[in-house]
Amino acid sequence: MKKIHILGLVLIAGAIGALLTLMGDISTYDSVESAKRKEGKFVHLIAKIDTTQPIVYDPIKDPNYLAFTAVDSLGSTTKVVYKNAKPTDFEKSARVVMKGSMKGETFECKEIVLKCPSKYTDEQGAQPGKMTETSYKTTE
Amino acid sequence: MIEYNGEHLLIGQIGMFLTLLAFFSALVSAYANTRAANAADMLSEKPWQKLARTTYIINAFAVLSLFVTLYLIIYNHYFEYKYAHTHSKRSLDVQYLLSCFWEGQEGSFMLWAFWNAVLGLFLIKRSGKFEHPVMTVMSIAQIFLASFLIGIYFFDIKIGSNPFVLMRNEFPDAPIFKDPDYLSKYILDGNGLNILLQNYWMVIHPPILFLGFASAIVPYAFGVAGLWKKDHAGWLRPALPWALFCAGILGLGIMMGAAWAYESLTFGGYWAWDPVENASMVPWLLLVAGIHTMLIFKSTGHSMKSTYLFIFLTHLLVLYSTFLTRTGVLGDTSVHSFTGEGSTLYWHLILMQLAFIALPAYLYFKERKNIPTVVKEESMNSREFWMFVGSLLLLISAVYIIVLTSLPFFNKLFGTSWAIGENVEYVYNRIMILVAIIIGVLTAMTQYFKYKETTRKYIWSKLLIPTIATVVLSAALSIWGEVKYDKYGLGYLVGIHVALWAAIYTVIANANYMASVLKWKMKAAGASITHFGFGLMLVGILISASKKELISKNAGGISVTGLKDAKGRDDDPLENVTLLYNTPVKMGKYVVTYLGDSTVEKNNKVFFKIRFIEVDPKDNETIVDAFNISPNAFLVKSGESSQLSSNPGSKHYLSNDVFVYITSWLNPDNIKDTASFRYTNVQAGDTVFYSNGFAVVNKLMAANKNDNKDLPMVDSAWVSEVAIFSKEGVQFNANPAYLKKDGIVSTKIDTIMEQHLVVGLQRDANGKVQLGLKESNAVVRYITLKAFRFPWINLLWLGTVVMVVGFMISMYFRMKSKLYVA
Repeated sequence: MKKIHILGLVLIAGAIGALLTLMGDISTYDSVESAKRKEGKFVHLIAKIDTTQPIVYDPIKDPNYLAFTAVDSLGSTTKVVYKNAKPTDFEKSARVVMKGSMKGETFECKEIVLKCPSKYTDEQGAQPGKMTETSYKTTE
Repeated sequence: MIEYNGEHLLIGQIGMFLTLLAFFSALVSAYANTRAANAADMLSEKPWQKLARTTYIINAFAVLSLFVTLYLIIYNHYFEYKYAHTHSKRSLDVQYLLSCFWEGQEGSFMLWAFWNAVLGLFLIKRSGKFEHPVMTVMSIAQIFLASFLIGIYFFDIKIGSNPFVLMRNEFPDAPIFKDPDYLSKYILDGNGLNILLQNYWMVIHPPILFLGFASAIVPYAFGVAGLWKKDHAGWLRPALPWALFCAGILGLGIMMGAAWAYESLTFGGYWAWDPVENASMVPWLLLVAGIHTMLIFKSTGHSMKSTYLFIFLTHLLVLYSTFLTRTGVLGDTSVHSFTGEGSTLYWHLILMQLAFIALPAYLYFKERKNIPTVVKEESMNSREFWMFVGSLLLLISAVYIIVLTSLPFFNKLFGTSWAIGENVEYVYNRIMILVAIIIGVLTAMTQYFKYKETTRKYIWSKLLIPTIATVVLSAALSIWGEVKYDKYGLGYLVGIHVALWAAIYTVIANANYMASVLKWKMKAAGASITHFGFGLMLVGILISASKKELISKNAGGISVTGLKDAKGRDDDPLENVTLLYNTPVKMGKYVVTYLGDSTVEKNNKVFFKIRFIEVDPKDNETIVDAFNISPNAFLVKSGESSQLSSNPGSKHYLSNDVFVYITSWLNPDNIKDTASFRYTNVQAGDTVFYSNGFAVVNKLMAANKNDNKDLPMVDSAWVSEVAIFSKEGVQFNANPAYLKKDGIVSTKIDTIMEQHLVVGLQRDANGKVQLGLKESNAVVRYITLKAFRFPWINLLWLGTVVMVVGFMISMYFRMKSKLYVA
């Protein structure tokens, strides 16, 4: 066996090792109920903003505190706290993907990806299924 | 059938015709090239060659004309066409009309086809005996690229998406199309360009990036030609300059994207391991690996098979990236918006990938026994051994990145729901830092090895000085450089330091190689320059990322810094700080004040004026530095209120950038402002009263572009200088203006917040200038912002430029070299 093959194998083993350590960082997409069952575990929550509930954001009091209620497609709701500024077009978003974990009754959100309906909503009728998206997160 | 008025149908029909012409000419050219490539002798080759060349030139002509046609539609604001309506708007500045072009899916495929056409024209002239197999590949690419633009139904399946469709054909049931004058009544303006794309980088970055993507096919095509013509050594010579060209341009395109992200995205960074970024970097990594194995083969005869693999994978990964980013399979993971054209494009792109896999796979399988291999093992003291190790490492890092990036696609295939967890960047960075360490050391040392065999004595005699210099410099940086990024623990911090040493080693060793071994002979210096630039990039990345500093660290509010979370860690710092108007706030070493804002009405863009004063920490008094930063934001109307879409502002220094963007703003317009402007005809010297004082028009100037050359953006302007005196005896200044361009009017208003006074300028029906005053009881005025400092980021940009120049120098000399026989 050539040295280069041995080295290659070592590198490939290293790469597999790297991918395996990754398993610890793999998270999943969850609903509100399943996220609540995995309290404290980092998950991706797909939900909608419940606009019937109050959205709290007062930048003069605290620009890093946004609280609102999210409802998922199964109808379960949870309170969400996002310690950052309120994203642009927040209320308009049709769907949000929130990354974070449940702490007690509250979902502590680290990052929000907004899915907004296309701005194309004139009298001609909207294009179905066309979305734009923007992500907001706590940069480090 | 309704006769519509005011439409420009001819240009769309020409566009449609050109699309079909491009498609069919590419089809014929691919066939003719195949026949010419397989011809037994010159005599039977000639007629096919003629046909192949003619049809390819026709194809190139059609694609170039298509480009012009679509641009004319956008430029002339023909909003009856969906493409113009969806992506453009009358008020857009001319330079951004090109960005509209690339914003849409059809436009970007057209851009790709454009470059492919141009590259093909060069290849007809320059690829000599490989012309026909190479041009077969180029024509096949053109067939596919044109097919994305056809947009006709084949049975029930829509093939591609045509950029020349009319609004009324796309939405036939909409009531407005019952009116023959719909164009002059309802579709007066387009929807406009995504505001994030209204940035000069977005004019230049996509064409460069697409040239990089498109040119990846050229080495691929030569590889196919090598297998086809059974000339495994011959194709490398013409392919190598192209590979270098592609690596340089693709690298430049990627980094321009990074510069755009840095300047106009509000994430505070140039790289976020976003799928779109990853997808463009992976082909580049493979191509760089391929360039190195090509060089190994040319000098030693080793690595032919790996070269085929890398070169084919490069182009295939370009296609796979397109597939990932264009079909919406990435769904929830990217900040980029995807067109999600649906399943047709999904299968269309899968078909394209399969075609480009099948062609080399078939030829390789047929030819595999004849591919030259060297039985003798490489020596550990040879250049080729370490170059190959480096290539292998690049391949493995490419695999790591693309596997992670493809997770959403795997989810789709296997019905799983995996995602990368909490720290996406760390998941990539902790592996890439190891890669950077090894690649850095290899890049520093490998050139000092000779091909085949080198004595250790020779290596160390040459490497001693740069090694000592590196150790001294790096140790100094580690000790006094204050690199102490410990968010992910000590191990990672050590990794950063070691990587810094390796990166500095790359820079010093390559500079030394140019000076002491090459004696500044440019002819051979391309590689060293490229590596030198790459080293600078690594240093810039490591320093700017690990020393990035949050200026707007929030100590107030509900949360208290230092608060521990459940795991006992410090909670993430809170990043937004709210500034009340004219109230200085201490942030890090700066005192920051929100001085005001002004709105450009034409496109609803707000400019904020923020003052940074750096005071000496010893006495808290002496001003060390003071500057203004003007981030801006677009106000996007949504329902009754306006939303803010923010653009960062920055202050550039040689050694660092201060970077600010607005995250929240109380737009006085949002507080149901019931007050309205009160207009008075004025001349210079006039005084107008308001409830708390009076305004004096000090100056009133009219200018138009015929007699004032300094008026580039508008046709004519009326500007004023107004002094406002409050009852309390305080004076304020305002400069409202009234602007006109192409008959469209816009105004610049000024707000004197202390007086709750808004000042505007307009002209009445008779052309008299009027000063408008509006007293508005807007509540507290504030902005919320984030601010960062990026040290030494300029090393990254400088390194990029040097690297690209290095690639181009290499390409130039490889083209000129006598070895290059086309």
